[in-house]
Amino acid sequence: MNFQAIINSPGIWIVSAFLVIISVSQAVVFMRAALKEATECGINKEKKAAAIRSACITAIGPSLSPVITLLSLVAVVGAPTTWMRLCDVGAARTELGVISLTSGMLGVEAGTEAFGMQAWTYGLWGMALNNFGWLFVVFILGHRMSGVVEKMNSKYDPAWIKKLMAGATVGLFAYLLGNQIQSLATPKLMPAAIAAVVMIVLGTALKKYQRLQELSLGIAMLVGMFVTQAVLGA
Amino acid sequence: MYDKKLIKIGRISMGLAIIANFLPAVYVGMRYGEMPGLSTILQIWGLVAATYGISWIIQPIAYYPTLGAPGSYIGWLAGSVGDIRMPAASMAQKMAGTEEGTHAHEVVGTIGTCCSVFVSASMITLFTIIGSQVIPLLPPFVTSSFSYILPALFGAIYVDIARKDLRTGICTIIGALVILKGGGMLGIPGGVLTLGVVLAGILITRGFFVADKNKKAA
Repeated sequence: MNFQAIINSPGIWIVSAFLVIISVSQAVVFMRAALKEATECGINKEKKAAAIRSACITAIGPSLSPVITLLSLVAVVGAPTTWMRLCDVGAARTELGVISLTSGMLGVEAGTEAFGMQAWTYGLWGMALNNFGWLFVVFILGHRMSGVVEKMNSKYDPAWIKKLMAGATVGLFAYLLGNQIQSLATPKLMPAAIAAVVMIVLGTALKKYQRLQELSLGIAMLVGMFVTQAVLGA
Repeated sequence: MYDKKLIKIGRISMGLAIIANFLPAVYVGMRYGEMPGLSTILQIWGLVAATYGISWIIQPIAYYPTLGAPGSYIGWLAGSVGDIRMPAASMAQKMAGTEEGTHAHEVVGTIGTCCSVFVSASMITLFTIIGSQVIPLLPPFVTSSFSYILPALFGAIYVDIARKDLRTGICTIIGALVILKGGGMLGIPGGVLTLGVVLAGILITRGFFVADKNKKAA
């Protein structure tokens, strides 16, 4: 069997499916529990539906962003491996980074003829060991860190703890935005600035239209992308 | 009850995921006899640990206050936490109108995170299967604009979050840029910088909180 046939074989699809199935099943179980808990927290049906719709719409845009990388990954490591690794932790660029690291060990370049069974196997191990790092840390720390908030609430001023959580979130999104625009290059600053302005305008203009607000992040993102492309493109 | 139950399920699925994570590599070894020796595997481990090891530890901690325990289990299993999970969770919370730091807020965040898993897993599945046929059909205008998705997304979501407290928002993004630029020049690993920016966000919030309190007292 040749290399391309092996990396896209049914057997590889099957062994790659387990992690995706675990991830989606966990989300199904958590979703049911969270919906029930939300009712007990006094969140009504309309608000739950609005939350679900807006989360789904918001997730579409960024899910598209690795699509181009996805195609090059499919060419290098095959469709099943790409599918599994993009459905789990590690962004597309991280997986590509790992593959070029492990191929480097063999003196082979990813995507060339020389990238064969051995380099692919090294890549499989590299991606598995890399993802294991995150999974293991969350496995070890996840349950230990819960309850920290309650403890802090009883120890410190709850008004401050609320602010603290908000501050951590602002910091995190500042990091995510800052990471994109830190080069201060126009192709990064422009989409960010345009989308930001559109978001503010929509937030103000659509204040009364709850349903349309759910779309605001998606619209702001699209306007930012397309206007930048129209101005800078070609 | 709710937290305890989800943490229990989360730990079980995390354990299963750790096993499933190695399945393809082990299967290829058994089926095709293509398996690196133990010393090579350790070498590969050393290589990825040197590159990403700091992120393994620091990212889950830095994202924890925002995701909570249940959100961390789903988020880190499905990945793309910053790009996909958090924007979805944050929009869900906005539309449900819950208040930061409350239990309801966390629960709605978990709902949003779960929804984002369904959407992204379906889209990745779809594009893995039909992507190579569909993407070339899209006009180049659309495919080249894909490279602007992330800056546009984070620009929009940042102002949406920062406008609740404008002073903190402006100071934090300036602080973030200074830390990222300065840290990059000094060669500080990216994972440490993430935590640095989150801490800066907390400290700046604290600064204004104390200042406001003193003003009220005076």
